[in-house]
Amino acid sequence: MNVVAFQNIHRSYHRGTHVLDGVTFDVEKGRVVGLVGKNGAGKTTLLRIAMGMLEAQRGTVRLFGLDPRREPMEVKRRVGFVSEDQILPPFMKVSQVLDLHRGLFPTWDEGITRDLIDRFGIPLRTKIRALSKGQARQVALLCAVAHKPELLLLDEPAAGLDPAARREFLETSIQLLNRTGSTILFSSHYMTDVERLADRIVMLHEGRVLIEAELDELHDQYSLALVPHNGGTSRAEVDSLESCLGIRDRSDALHAVFNLEPDSAARLLETELGITGSLCRRIALEDMFVELAGGQQ
Amino acid sequence: MHFVIVPGSDLPIYRQIMRQVTDALSGGRLRPGDKLTSQRELAEQLVVSPLTVKKAYDELEREGLITTERGRGTFVTAEASAVDPREQRERLRPMVRQLLSRARLSGVTVDVLAELLNEEEQHWNTERDRQS
Repeated sequence: MNVVAFQNIHRSYHRGTHVLDGVTFDVEKGRVVGLVGKNGAGKTTLLRIAMGMLEAQRGTVRLFGLDPRREPMEVKRRVGFVSEDQILPPFMKVSQVLDLHRGLFPTWDEGITRDLIDRFGIPLRTKIRALSKGQARQVALLCAVAHKPELLLLDEPAAGLDPAARREFLETSIQLLNRTGSTILFSSHYMTDVERLADRIVMLHEGRVLIEAELDELHDQYSLALVPHNGGTSRAEVDSLESCLGIRDRSDALHAVFNLEPDSAARLLETELGITGSLCRRIALEDMFVELAGGQQ
Repeated sequence: MHFVIVPGSDLPIYRQIMRQVTDALSGGRLRPGDKLTSQRELAEQLVVSPLTVKKAYDELEREGLITTERGRGTFVTAEASAVDPREQRERLRPMVRQLLSRARLSGVTVDVLAELLNEEEQHWNTERDRQS
């Protein structure tokens, strides 16, 4: 069953810049999907559309089969949301914020609440505005998960946190997965976090889905080919190959990412373009991100 | 047993987990009947998705190396001989290649490498005897 379904989502801001230019993918129940892509790729816009905070100009989004704009209460009751720039009421005490959420959600779990307060060492009597960035994010996470949502939408949840707080955040997410088996869609720039938490990734690039794959497939079915300059191969020639996802002209060689395992990529370069001196190897997620999202010029 | 994983390597995490179980099995550190850490616990210990751990355990079970008994836990079923020694040998090849190219670059001969290996093995053995 699909918990989230994006169908041909379009969204542009003023001056006609397309932020999302036809995004389609699903998130199955129980899956943890990492949404990656460079700044401006449309990750935040997409997650806001899923939450019903923004409307798609074309296309449909469904959460549990429901339209988040038409049935916001029903959807919000079943979703937990944490974003980088989340705003909690600054003059409320932590305990008051928790009371507010407790009242809103019939499924609020006191056990999870107590566990997280202890684990994070959250000061209940402190006002939100006096919390550190990390503490405020922890309160937001607590509010997002204590009602045991079926779906967690996390927009850069670890951005701006120090390494210890980031790890704590991951540990908490994994314990929650163990405990409740929630479905998670999260965006992150930390590729090692994505590898730890996600089992599937969606890479957005220029408003479109560039890669949608199981994390393990990524290791097995993608490769980076280094094509030496001295053979006189042009960038356009390599780029025209169908399984070439992106290419960069670097000082050492042409760097091309292929949706093929290394041996097949090397064979393809040889049979199609007569290139024999290419070096093809498997590629880790972080390198793939850099090759595809980093300067296409 | 103690697992170590390295995210960001070009080996998927589930395969890193599988590899450590097969290595431990062929090296005699795991024996038939030994209990493995539960999937949930291992996911929390390694801070990786429970689905990743499940995938590693499922694959190991499919290969007939371990078995999960409902309510009791996961146990090693295979003998060390179940792990293909040739495969274990081949896994070391890339590391040997790397070692050799490093040695070549710095003008160290294969004989000297062999000496180094022997020295390290002796050191290893004395450490082990001291600990037991």
